[in-house]
Amino acid sequence: MSKNKSRKQRANKAPIILPQDFADTPRGQGKSFLLGNQSKHVQELIDILKRNNLTELELEREGVRIRVRHEQGIKTITSTVADASSGTVASAPQPSPTGSTSVEDTTGLVTITSPIVGTFYRSPSPDADPYVEEGDYVKKGQVLCIVEAMKLMNEIESEVDGRVAKILAESTKPVEYGQALFLIDPKATP
Amino acid sequence: MFKKVLIANRGEIALRVIRACKELGIKTVAVHSEADASSLHVRAADEHICIGPPEAALSYRNIPNVLSAAEITGADAIHPGYGFLSENAHFAEVCESIGIKFIGPTSENIALMGDKAKAREIVARKGLPVTPGSPGELKSEQEALDAATKIGYPVIIKASAGGGGRGMRVVNTAEDLARAFQAAQAEAKSTFGHDGVYLERYFLEPRHIEVQIIADHRGHVVHLGERDCSIQRRHQKLVEETPSPAVDEKLRKEIGRVAVEAVKAVHYRNVGTVEFLLDKDHNFFFMEVNTRIQVEHPITEMVTGIDLIKEQIKLANGQALSFKQQDIRLNGHSLECRINAEDPEKFTPSPGLITKYSAPGGFGVRVDSAMESDAMVVPYYDSMIAKVITHGRDRQEAIARMRCALDEFVIEGIKTTIPLHRRILNDPDFQKGHVSTTFLDRFLAG
Repeated sequence: MSKNKSRKQRANKAPIILPQDFADTPRGQGKSFLLGNQSKHVQELIDILKRNNLTELELEREGVRIRVRHEQGIKTITSTVADASSGTVASAPQPSPTGSTSVEDTTGLVTITSPIVGTFYRSPSPDADPYVEEGDYVKKGQVLCIVEAMKLMNEIESEVDGRVAKILAESTKPVEYGQALFLIDPKATP
Repeated sequence: MFKKVLIANRGEIALRVIRACKELGIKTVAVHSEADASSLHVRAADEHICIGPPEAALSYRNIPNVLSAAEITGADAIHPGYGFLSENAHFAEVCESIGIKFIGPTSENIALMGDKAKAREIVARKGLPVTPGSPGELKSEQEALDAATKIGYPVIIKASAGGGGRGMRVVNTAEDLARAFQAAQAEAKSTFGHDGVYLERYFLEPRHIEVQIIADHRGHVVHLGERDCSIQRRHQKLVEETPSPAVDEKLRKEIGRVAVEAVKAVHYRNVGTVEFLLDKDHNFFFMEVNTRIQVEHPITEMVTGIDLIKEQIKLANGQALSFKQQDIRLNGHSLECRINAEDPEKFTPSPGLITKYSAPGGFGVRVDSAMESDAMVVPYYDSMIAKVITHGRDRQEAIARMRCALDEFVIEGIKTTIPLHRRILNDPDFQKGHVSTTFLDRFLAG
């Protein structure tokens, strides 16, 4: 039940399009954008913006462009229907956003998120070795960790083959629904 | 006293409960769906846990995730608010079994009163007035026909697992009964999972009068006066007031006594609301019991001075009621308007970004809301975004203050029902207090 997301945090740059979120994922679950409930998709963009501490986000697809900007506490949303013949994004110079953020290039990485609320454990028991370490190569379906909820141990499996790029949660600490646990690089080979 | 309370709800009621907890020195945990991550109620709490995606069934009604959130934060009690899990007897029972206090009635209270047909039966057996109807669930079409003949048409068929004004069918003649009976059963099954139905006399222009009761673990029950909730659209309340213009002191004592007796019969605990129908001759009939804190609880708070949420928490903590019936004074008059994010004429939902939000204020004006400028009204939940409550020394003053408050209230970016409320307040029948549950339908028809 994890979602595939990429994380980009850039300051003082042009608008960012996150292909990961709106392209088809390895499991074929592409989000079809703007084919249904517009406000729902606008909300999704806003959520991505906030979660990743971005100040601006723009997406153009199939003739419609939506830009969400968060600047100095004021959120503005503009959407325009582009000319059917033009398929390019006209990127105008953007005002520099306030606040600095860490610059980490996580292009192409798959995020494994928690599907439940509970306590995160890296090993099957206190004395045992962790399921995985950073740098390990894992296969799809391989157990990465346990999230314990109400005394029930839930094994969380990897959604893809790849290399464990980063472990984001801390063992024995609580995690919430949707919290990022691991970053897997699906392009890595063993 | 509880150290930490988890609020298993969202929006204005979550904020309401968080405020009460803060006043009592209790730490708060807000749980929220991904859609509510930046909501005001989340920021108001000491801790917050995301418990699921926007869909209520996967988040606010997701029992494992709610309980897990309570476990990892060490909450010792859960307040369910209204809606969602508040009348889920199974949830209350699970809380009880794992040692987390459910702030509300017992799971037995909820299960018993949740069966509307059974509740009627219990109240009738105590010799209390119930709407003339079938003694319990109707087991066959013939039983329905016999009951309807005895009661007299028109009748209304209701789902026994229902409530909240859903799953009901009016039948005017014997010819229509068989078809209506089958349809009502099918609807009950698909909406509530149980096809049991019962039958009641259908009143043409009744008033919806409900009584707030509060009970402790020692069996002391007090009533806090009635609320008139007759202004409804498709059984959803829009405007509520207390006291009811149709209820005098003598009637109040009588309805209050019956409400107290009804809940005593089932060893009720914590707060609840007993609903009655009042006919044109001021005869009243028991309808059902709502085993939760209600949306319109603030108007009772304004006239009694009693903080119902704090009382709920204290009662759940095992404290006895700190007041007796003779201590209750009803002062002045209070009104509430439920502001929904809907088109005021078509009632189509109007979710979206609130670009400007400015709430009214002043003496006798109270606004319960979790909305603010730049907040997003999301389409996944109930459309109510704010409650405007006013209080005055009399009905005139309460209405005048409500009119001013609605004029001052600025909500831009979405449509709201404020224009409808303004029209209702200006209606001559409303101003005279001449309303019944058919008022709004007639009003809207023009």
